[in-house]
Amino acid sequence: MTSATRARLLAVMLARHAARAMPGAGSPWAEAMRREIDHIADDAEAVRWALGCVLASYRARLLQRPTVSARTAWRQIAASGALMLVIGLALLDNAGGQTPPPKPAFDEKPAFDETACDLAPPPAVCRLPCADRLPVERQIAPDDPNRDAPCSSKSKMP
Amino acid sequence: MPRRPNSSRQTRALLASFLDHSGTWRHGYDLSKETGLRSGTLYPLLMRLSEQGLLEARWQEAERPGLPPRHAYRLTAAGLVLAREQALEAITAERAGVLA
Repeated sequence: MTSATRARLLAVMLARHAARAMPGAGSPWAEAMRREIDHIADDAEAVRWALGCVLASYRARLLQRPTVSARTAWRQIAASGALMLVIGLALLDNAGGQTPPPKPAFDEKPAFDETACDLAPPPAVCRLPCADRLPVERQIAPDDPNRDAPCSSKSKMP
Repeated sequence: MPRRPNSSRQTRALLASFLDHSGTWRHGYDLSKETGLRSGTLYPLLMRLSEQGLLEARWQEAERPGLPPRHAYRLTAAGLVLAREQALEAITAERAGVLA
């Protein structure tokens, strides 16, 4: 099939589609557009013509849509507004409480445990009471036998 | 301010084309070539003018054998009046533009 024949075929198909898409298919106007294709010698021009016919049909179809009166339009707007209000209020009621966090599955280890701390325990410090000076913090080794003794009973450290 | 009906550039071009060959039946493709209007613009205009009683249409046998009949159009008396009015307005506007 040559490209010229293909173009002609495309034009005919488009023109047929335009005739079908036209409101009141089979009307003289739809037929007029379709038949005019056969009188166009140039194939490319026929395709352009057919595309225009499709456009004209769609335009006619859009213009044929039933018009809505202002009163009906206002009614629809009011009904839509009332419906949106009801939905909004319902959502507001349901969203009032806190949503609990999702529970892990039975055998699933939680990503982190909020109650346990995995940091090293802080070193024990002994605060030496000094009447006339600021308290000095000293670190005590974990194996110090006097670790748990009260600060007053500890020997003075250098 | 609302625009006057049938005063668009495309409609005026179409009416002027009909007026140039008044009384002659014209075909869609010929009108398209003469006015430069594409079929997507031309046919809605033709339909509207026909609905308004400014244009009449009929089926015409093809000049060449083997081809289907074509739809042909020409202005009605009311259409001719409108086309003449618009042509006169165009001439007046053109003269006013030249003088200004």
